[in-house]
Amino acid sequence: MTGHRIGTQEEWQAERDALLAQEKELTRRNDELAVKRRALPWVPVEKEYEFDTADGRKTLAELFDGRSQLLVYHFMFGPSYEAGCTVCSSIADTLDPQVVHLRARDATLICSSRAPLEKLLAYRERMGWSFNWASTAGNDFHRDLGLAHTEEELRPFLEGDIPPTVEQMAEASGTDVAGYVSEGPGLSVYALADGTVYRTYVSSARGLEPAMAYYGLLDRTPLGRHEEGEQTHWLRRHDEYDTA
Amino acid sequence: MPEHTIASREQWQAARDELAELEGEQAKRNEEIKRKRLELPWVPVEKEYEFDTEDGKKTLAELFDGRSQLLAYNIMFGPDYTLGACPGCTSLGDGLDGTLVHVNHRDVTLICFSRAPIEQLTAYKRRMGWQFPYVSTYDTDFPFDFGLALTEERAQQIPELKQMIDDPPEWLEEWSQQVGAELKDGLRENPSWIAFARENGTVYHTYTVSAPDPFVAPYFDFLLERTPKAGSPEPRAWRKDEYPD
Repeated sequence: MTGHRIGTQEEWQAERDALLAQEKELTRRNDELAVKRRALPWVPVEKEYEFDTADGRKTLAELFDGRSQLLVYHFMFGPSYEAGCTVCSSIADTLDPQVVHLRARDATLICSSRAPLEKLLAYRERMGWSFNWASTAGNDFHRDLGLAHTEEELRPFLEGDIPPTVEQMAEASGTDVAGYVSEGPGLSVYALADGTVYRTYVSSARGLEPAMAYYGLLDRTPLGRHEEGEQTHWLRRHDEYDTA
Repeated sequence: MPEHTIASREQWQAARDELAELEGEQAKRNEEIKRKRLELPWVPVEKEYEFDTEDGKKTLAELFDGRSQLLAYNIMFGPDYTLGACPGCTSLGDGLDGTLVHVNHRDVTLICFSRAPIEQLTAYKRRMGWQFPYVSTYDTDFPFDFGLALTEERAQQIPELKQMIDDPPEWLEEWSQQVGAELKDGLRENPSWIAFARENGTVYHTYTVSAPDPFVAPYFDFLLERTPKAGSPEPRAWRKDEYPD
């Protein structure tokens, strides 16, 4: 016997219908949120940023690659990292196949990181991705969005109790805790109109949970995420799992 | 100048902070729903089903592939589709391989089902370059028992469906051409996620969610909800190798 409550088809259906009503309410509110996001004012990006890409130096406007919308996933891969953040890597696994679909919908999806371009491209090859990956080395693009922190700013965190998962993730990226948390993940979104780039949306940390597609899937499985009490995080890079 | 409201960084930040509150509330509601999903009763699956897979015939229990949880997406690809699966479902399928290895290591086997014969599924999987196991429910009662497909008789009894078939909007007519099936056949498949648990040799059905739930949509919808311009409200989709230039 299982520890879980067993029911008849009719019992399941009755409870499922009740939950469905709540799921529909969540959907309705989600649609409202999308409308409110779009109602946010646009902010002209007045600073000139230049990025290193596989196709040479590019301005922010050039990263749109001919389309009118740009989505940038800020991938945690700082100058001191030997490999990209494990969690960001798992997000990128799902982002990569979306590029072609977004391109056809007037949106360019890229990643950006603070590590030098050579490191990014070598890692991209290892992981088998094909999205455009821009290095912000030498500019303040991440810093201006609050996604890059100095050791000074991090001191209160670094002097406190470091969660074991942070140590684990730092080690997995070949850097120390200070180096690892100098980077923050984020999504920033831009519109290009009449030659001007506007910032339209920025999200970080918790707001990025939908990007972790595997969590959406686990949230529909019988056991859910069941991560409580786990001292280390289960996530690995797709080529680093022990073969099960 | 764009038609949109332009603001300073400070004005934007104030509006963004307000929105962040709402996003936070929404995340809390989602937590509540996640908890309730886990509390749904499990229903033992007493009937025996046998499916055609790329590795021969398998029972439902065997589809778990040694793990204790099975999560499947039911792609709209009926036996009458002559040109391949629904393009929207195909776009969803494109996102699954990126999660496959991760959920596999959380004791979850991730697969897709469709009702077309296995030869058609395997050829389509090859064309799309997919890795996930693709299982045929052809000639089984499984899709009808679990609400993943409608019999012809049942389909005729649903007024909304009859209306769509008799007087389809333009995008739906195009969809019918994309899959190469008449709507009366094509609309009998129900795009859904379905989950099962396996314990001590018994398989339990735990959860199903079907369109129009937003989880039954390609992953990129989550990104498009965050872009500055609203896309078409019509659910038009294309396969990745068929986009118009």
